[in-house]
Amino acid sequence: MLSKITSFALNGLEGVPVEVETDVNKGMVSYDLVGLPDAAVKESKERVRSAIKNSAAYFPVNKITINLAPANVKKEGSHYDLPLAISILKAGDQLVAETDGIVFLGELALDGSLRPVAGILPILISAKAKGFTQFIVPAGNANEASYIEGTRVFALNSLRDTIDLLTGEKVFAPVEPRSFSAARNKKRSNYDMALVRGQKIAKRALEIAVAGGHNLLLAGPPGTGKTLLARCIPTIMPDMTFEEALEVTKIHSVAGVLSEEGIVSERPFRTPHHTATTVSLCGGGNTKIHPGEISMAHKGVLFLDELPEYTRHALESLRQPLEDRVITVTRAGGAITFPADFMLCASMNPCPCGNYGSAYLTCTCTPAQVHKYRSKISGPLLDRIDLQVEVDGIKYEDLASTEAEESSAAVKLRVEKARAIQRERYAEDTILVNANMSERHIKKYCRLSAECEEILRNAFETLHLSARARARIIKVARTIADLDFSADIKPEHILEAASYRSYDSNSL
Amino acid sequence: MYTEEEINLITLSATAELTHKNCVTLLDGLATAQPDFEIHKNYLIKTLSDGVYNKVKGNFYSQSYRSAILKKLADRGITCVTYFSKDYPENLKNTPCPPLTLFCKGNVGLLKRKSLSIVGSRRTLPNILKESKAVSAELCKKFTIVTGTADGADAAVINGALGSGNIICVLAYGFDSYYPSVNENLIKSVEKNGLLITEYTPQVKPQKFNFPARNRIIAGLSEGTLVVSAGKRSGATITARYALEYGKRVFAFPYSLGVASGEGCNSLIRDGATLVTDAGDILEDFGIEREESKAPALTAEELETLTVIKEMGDAFLSTVATKLGKMPFQLIPVITSLEMKGLIARLGGNRYAAL
Repeated sequence: MLSKITSFALNGLEGVPVEVETDVNKGMVSYDLVGLPDAAVKESKERVRSAIKNSAAYFPVNKITINLAPANVKKEGSHYDLPLAISILKAGDQLVAETDGIVFLGELALDGSLRPVAGILPILISAKAKGFTQFIVPAGNANEASYIEGTRVFALNSLRDTIDLLTGEKVFAPVEPRSFSAARNKKRSNYDMALVRGQKIAKRALEIAVAGGHNLLLAGPPGTGKTLLARCIPTIMPDMTFEEALEVTKIHSVAGVLSEEGIVSERPFRTPHHTATTVSLCGGGNTKIHPGEISMAHKGVLFLDELPEYTRHALESLRQPLEDRVITVTRAGGAITFPADFMLCASMNPCPCGNYGSAYLTCTCTPAQVHKYRSKISGPLLDRIDLQVEVDGIKYEDLASTEAEESSAAVKLRVEKARAIQRERYAEDTILVNANMSERHIKKYCRLSAECEEILRNAFETLHLSARARARIIKVARTIADLDFSADIKPEHILEAASYRSYDSNSL
Repeated sequence: MYTEEEINLITLSATAELTHKNCVTLLDGLATAQPDFEIHKNYLIKTLSDGVYNKVKGNFYSQSYRSAILKKLADRGITCVTYFSKDYPENLKNTPCPPLTLFCKGNVGLLKRKSLSIVGSRRTLPNILKESKAVSAELCKKFTIVTGTADGADAAVINGALGSGNIICVLAYGFDSYYPSVNENLIKSVEKNGLLITEYTPQVKPQKFNFPARNRIIAGLSEGTLVVSAGKRSGATITARYALEYGKRVFAFPYSLGVASGEGCNSLIRDGATLVTDAGDILEDFGIEREESKAPALTAEELETLTVIKEMGDAFLSTVATKLGKMPFQLIPVITSLEMKGLIARLGGNRYAAL
């Protein structure tokens, strides 16, 4: 007899329906699986055999042919175990039940229990869009599945339970749909701006960067708190909306790193080590294309500590996603587009010896050495980093002072106000924040008074700024004006913005 | 266009095998322009070798070799000013060890102007760099500025004088190289607007031991030498020692105790160099009237901030803000404006110092 069971394959973040067709015939005993299965899927044959045996059913001793259709799409992952098992049981007439319109997903243990799998959320979203509303998933994926409205998801513990549900022998309640609230889901962060002593300038830069969605470079001697500052960035970013959370969760789900809660409610903070390869940053893989660190940092922060130590190739690969906010990973097997709308925060030492600008230690580098060190970061990449700030060489008084520092919550409030102004301004545009402004938007929203133009021109001459810094300065000035609730960009905003371009000045 | 005498010198200078000392001996201590290879044969063979001696001698008398050298130099736009040229700077002629040939690229007319050298260390504080640039920009109106091509102080001095075109850079290597490579564009713009000179034939690479020798040209060429910064064992002090030896005036910026890049300056002052703090002091020493320059207009806020920074020497922006009772970010525009007006300099790490 022939049976057909529906499951899904993942192509990037897109779910593609897969029919599991099983034919159990009389003939020489065999057990074949066709339809481009990868190693994990091939091995599922053995898991399924044991799982069926251990679920109070028997494995048909016949000629069994299983086809995963469409046959030209590669099938990867372990979530085909459950549909395979159900399909075999149905084809062998052991299970008589209606399975049309139900999507089966799950990995089986040898004892027949269901193990959670990666990629449930993107599959559910795609399946729902294609008209599927009933799902059977492992209990371990219940939380992840509960955020999709308008679906009936059964999160079950074992193959036996699945059979019982289908035959109606036992009654199971579908997963309770949950509403999303970032504030409720949020864990208390270990980091807070109040923990960073001093560093007033860098904190200000952090606030501007987050308010306008700008990328940020922190430069300073070792041990001055650059990493701690960067860790504070997610604590002052606005809470994620449900749509954002879903997008991020999709990526994390595909990568299989989703935590128990089933949804990513905090903005991601990714810190790939500087030995990271280009592929690990951008995404890729042999058969299955995995999202890279920049996609894992989607809607959050990608922190590159010790920026000059990364390979040039890896850094240059960030340029295009920084501009387009998506990355298209192309392999012989096809191209997949992952979202990559992240805020880049990088840190570096100011010079090879690290003491440039320190008030307490002498820098032993010559200007040529400093220049050489800094030029490891290419101009085009530096160009995409709107704010380049130096961190104070730490002072003892700062560490010892008991002066209360402003908390992240207070900063976040200001950031949210500035973001609200931007939302209103860009209501008719496709962009969300100042950093995304194109030349056209700058012309439209950042008109400069004659006085400001004069200051800007002057700044280029006297501060030796490179010509391409102009648009960046105007964008940052726009954000500073927004934080100041000022409709116009004023001279002081331009002056402050110009002070954050210290690393692309031409002077030696 | 060159006389036979001059061509003799150019050929000798362009022969990389011969050292300056070899050439001077050959020319009987510059008494004649006609080298005598026979009389000095024994001396030359001792320092060179038999083969090299014969090759050098053969080349020297080979007409085709001589014209090939001249053509090569002319093709590259290199003018030669030799010890026997009338254009040879008088100042340099009076030094004990004048270069035989000055290979020049750029405006050779600058050699005739009164000149002043400004030298300093590569590791110079940012505010001193800014001050050096300002001093150079002012002095280049009265003097041709002579300096090297290093990064740091030299580069700041070049930047100050480049606009006026009154700038001579003395290289310690031939025109085939640009050293340090970060300054390549700067050196090229000196070639375009000012003058590059060197005593080395184009193919000579930058070598450590040529730099002190180059410094004697910087000191010898000019009326006086200003040392803007110098560590304990800095090339700038070597230049100043040459200048003192040649009986030229030596000026130096004073430094406070514990500043490594100023130790050389302070010891020069102790040894008799004139302490100067701005371009006016130097002009006064030469009896030249200073042009009144307009001080940039400051707002009350800027003046207040500048006063605090001056009081503190060098200060963190946040400390200045605390003293003024402001939030640090409110002070950033004021500080940037002061920086743009050239009154303070960024030391790195959000520290600032007045000029």
